[in-house]
Amino acid sequence: MTLWIHEARLLLRQRLAIVSLGLLAVLTVAALVSGMAQVSRQRAAIAAIPAAQAEDIGAIAAWVDKEKDAGSAAYYSFHPTWDAPSPLAFTALGMRDVSPYILRVRALGLEAQIYDGDTFNPELALPGRFDFAFVLVFLAPLFVIALCHDLTSGEREAGRWRTLAALPHGGAALWRRRTLLRAALLWAAIGVPFAIAALMSGVAAGAIIVILLLVVAYLLFWVGLSALIGRLRWSSVANAASLAALWLVLVLVLPTLGHVAINRAIPVNQGAEIALAQREAVNHAWDIPREETMRAFYANHPQWADSPPLGTAFHYKWYFAFHQVGDESVAGRARAYRQGLEVRDRAARSLGWVLPTVGVQAMLTRMARTDLVAQIAYRDRVRDYHRRLRQFYYGYIFRDRPFGKADFNRAPRFDAAI
Amino acid sequence: MNPATLIARDELRLMRRNRVAVIACLLLVLLTLVAVASSWAHQRGIEDLRARHQQEAEHAFDAQPDRHPHRMVHYGTFIFRPLSALAAFDPGVDAFTGNSMFLEGHRQNTANFGDVNQSSLLIRFGQLTPAFVLQAVAPLLLIFLGYGAIARETERGTLRVLLMQGATRGAIVRGKLRALGTVALLVALPAILGLMMLAGASGAAILPAAAIVLGYAAWLLLWITVIVLVSAMVGRSRDALLALVAIWAVSVVLLPRVAPDIASAAVPLKNRLQTEVAIARDLRRLGDAHNPNDPHFAAFKQSVLQRYVVKRVEDLPVNYKGLLAVEGEKVTSALFDRYSGESYAAQGSQNAIVGAVGMFSPAIALRSLSMAAAGTDFAAHRGFLEQAEAYRYDLIQRLNRLQADGVTYADDTASDAGADRRKRIAAGNWEKMPDFTYRAPDGATLAAHALPGLAVVTGWLILAGVLLAFAARRLGRHPGERR
Repeated sequence: MTLWIHEARLLLRQRLAIVSLGLLAVLTVAALVSGMAQVSRQRAAIAAIPAAQAEDIGAIAAWVDKEKDAGSAAYYSFHPTWDAPSPLAFTALGMRDVSPYILRVRALGLEAQIYDGDTFNPELALPGRFDFAFVLVFLAPLFVIALCHDLTSGEREAGRWRTLAALPHGGAALWRRRTLLRAALLWAAIGVPFAIAALMSGVAAGAIIVILLLVVAYLLFWVGLSALIGRLRWSSVANAASLAALWLVLVLVLPTLGHVAINRAIPVNQGAEIALAQREAVNHAWDIPREETMRAFYANHPQWADSPPLGTAFHYKWYFAFHQVGDESVAGRARAYRQGLEVRDRAARSLGWVLPTVGVQAMLTRMARTDLVAQIAYRDRVRDYHRRLRQFYYGYIFRDRPFGKADFNRAPRFDAAI
Repeated sequence: MNPATLIARDELRLMRRNRVAVIACLLLVLLTLVAVASSWAHQRGIEDLRARHQQEAEHAFDAQPDRHPHRMVHYGTFIFRPLSALAAFDPGVDAFTGNSMFLEGHRQNTANFGDVNQSSLLIRFGQLTPAFVLQAVAPLLLIFLGYGAIARETERGTLRVLLMQGATRGAIVRGKLRALGTVALLVALPAILGLMMLAGASGAAILPAAAIVLGYAAWLLLWITVIVLVSAMVGRSRDALLALVAIWAVSVVLLPRVAPDIASAAVPLKNRLQTEVAIARDLRRLGDAHNPNDPHFAAFKQSVLQRYVVKRVEDLPVNYKGLLAVEGEKVTSALFDRYSGESYAAQGSQNAIVGAVGMFSPAIALRSLSMAAAGTDFAAHRGFLEQAEAYRYDLIQRLNRLQADGVTYADDTASDAGADRRKRIAAGNWEKMPDFTYRAPDGATLAAHALPGLAVVTGWLILAGVLLAFAARRLGRHPGERR
């Protein structure tokens, strides 16, 4: 134990070590604070939904109540859905800055609504977010390199190496002690602020432990890489240079190459094509006999087939039917689009088995539920909710039941449970 | 031969002998070539796709059958943003903005289907483009090649020898700068050539391409100067390397990510739900075209009746419902413009905050210079959105006027069995609607937008040059020098 304390004292006498560890801790705290601020802004935006929604629906209800027309109610009412950030979201903001976490839908064609984005500033999103995942994946390795690149070469250059190797508890045991001590201090600089922030945010203990282990593993990867380079017996400067080059390749060059390769290898039909096709299907309905649309609709939804036949005047049930038929006509494309995205995502994840940088980022965003999988899951919940909305309004429209003020409160509410 | 040339040659010979350095240079050149090729192919693919979609959308619009004009207002149209000529060099925010827009009546939609939502998580690590290589990777290579340029000589005592042999301090510094400059030129050449090809192919982009070349030249020169400066100031090459890598990591990797967080915390952006609810509220206040008793539209009706000197809307020579549609669209569009203007302004001030941080991180300034000149920054995207909105408004109003002039009020309000038929107007009208043509900003405008960034990078270059001149004078008298 005294040997460890002695080593620690030696290490902490170096200005570079103190500055590095302090800086890393400060950066970690800053990233955590920034992530938490971001998440709390998102929570606040979600918390503000009910008031805005009540105002909006209230005005529509007051106006619809006069005619009691269920079709108008369904047409004009937007219903909010939201994707609340998970307790861990602050560690890795992932896609949450560029994909919507609030989306209002109405009972019309869903394919024309579900890909809508929210307002965001593209120039701010471009460089990527400054969050815990960034500090861990991008910055922490640089600190490992700074502290570990000259463990043996430095002693050799100072002419102490032989002496140290000959000491009792020297040699391999000494280097192991020094390496582990550095790794442990770096881990503490990252892990302690994280653990505190996670506890404050109510993250489950299991998740905290997993992430702390992930940090250990990732740091050990870089420590191991430094040790490997150190064995080549180059000068300290050559070690630092080659480690920094490795960092560049692993953190920036290979992931970007991987991105190009994946997008090239797995073509995804552009989402715009779904929108184009859906619009054609929906608008085509105006040019064909209305009965044709109704037949197509009733074939898939026999529960409404006993609705009275259409008269000559406009009826909302026809309008909603052709929107749904339009959705159904592009269902195959929508599925293919989604599958394409999933395949791309899986390919990126499997790249994570080879590239620890990608692996850690993927794992953190997965645990934080801020990745593409989470985004697709949110879309699924919106789809499910939209189905219930249609069901609800059809009950009025197809049965010609009046839709009054009180009925607005009966509309299904989005279930935010993940 | 003057001493500076000799020193430059000597330094280059040393780099040539260093196998790692040669391999690194080759790899970087290779990476640049891959970036140029893949980015170019990618952009070409996108361009073709968008052009095809645009054509399909226009064709579909023109091919619509006889319709009531208001049907076409809802049918709307899709437009696709064409890429700028230099987007293959620096695609900027293109992947994040979405490239297709659905334009329809009563609504102002946002651009959809950005690449960022259609790619794997890897897109957030950065995109492999020539701009990325020159912005991030090339400086690091120069650091590895040059950190020891002077520190090494100081460390080994060879600096003294050089000085005693009659080389002036200035000549030593110039020689080292020249050697590194040669390497920089070598690694930048493929990207610059690629850029020239892009600019040449489009013809119109000579000025912005020149701005980009100037900007990156200043950027690489800045790094060379900083490298020699640090190498001269710090006695040991080890410290020089660590300091330079730290400067690089902070200015190129860290600050560009921190600045947006500061900006988004300082200037909040209204989300879509808030905006839509606010617009609906304002609309209710302004008037409701569906409500016959609405004061705003009652006044409008009165003014129309007065203008045509008739008592009832039925007696008007034009279709009152069409006029109402024109008026309604005017009211809603003015509101949309107000809200989108607010959002643009907020995003503009966010970007201004990032720009202010850019004073301390020339990497940010360079990035905005590069995007601005390539026509792929937020300003260019905003230009597209505004043109799209102007086009949407014009198209919808044309359709509304067709309703006013081409459909009679009696038919428009009828609901008998044959009414639907009588409400329709000939399909030939759709073809007469103008197509959307995006007017890209001209080269001079793009180049002008790049000037602020260029000024910042150049300012840093001058500052570093002055510091280097001071450091050069103290060269060899460094207290930390080892004997």
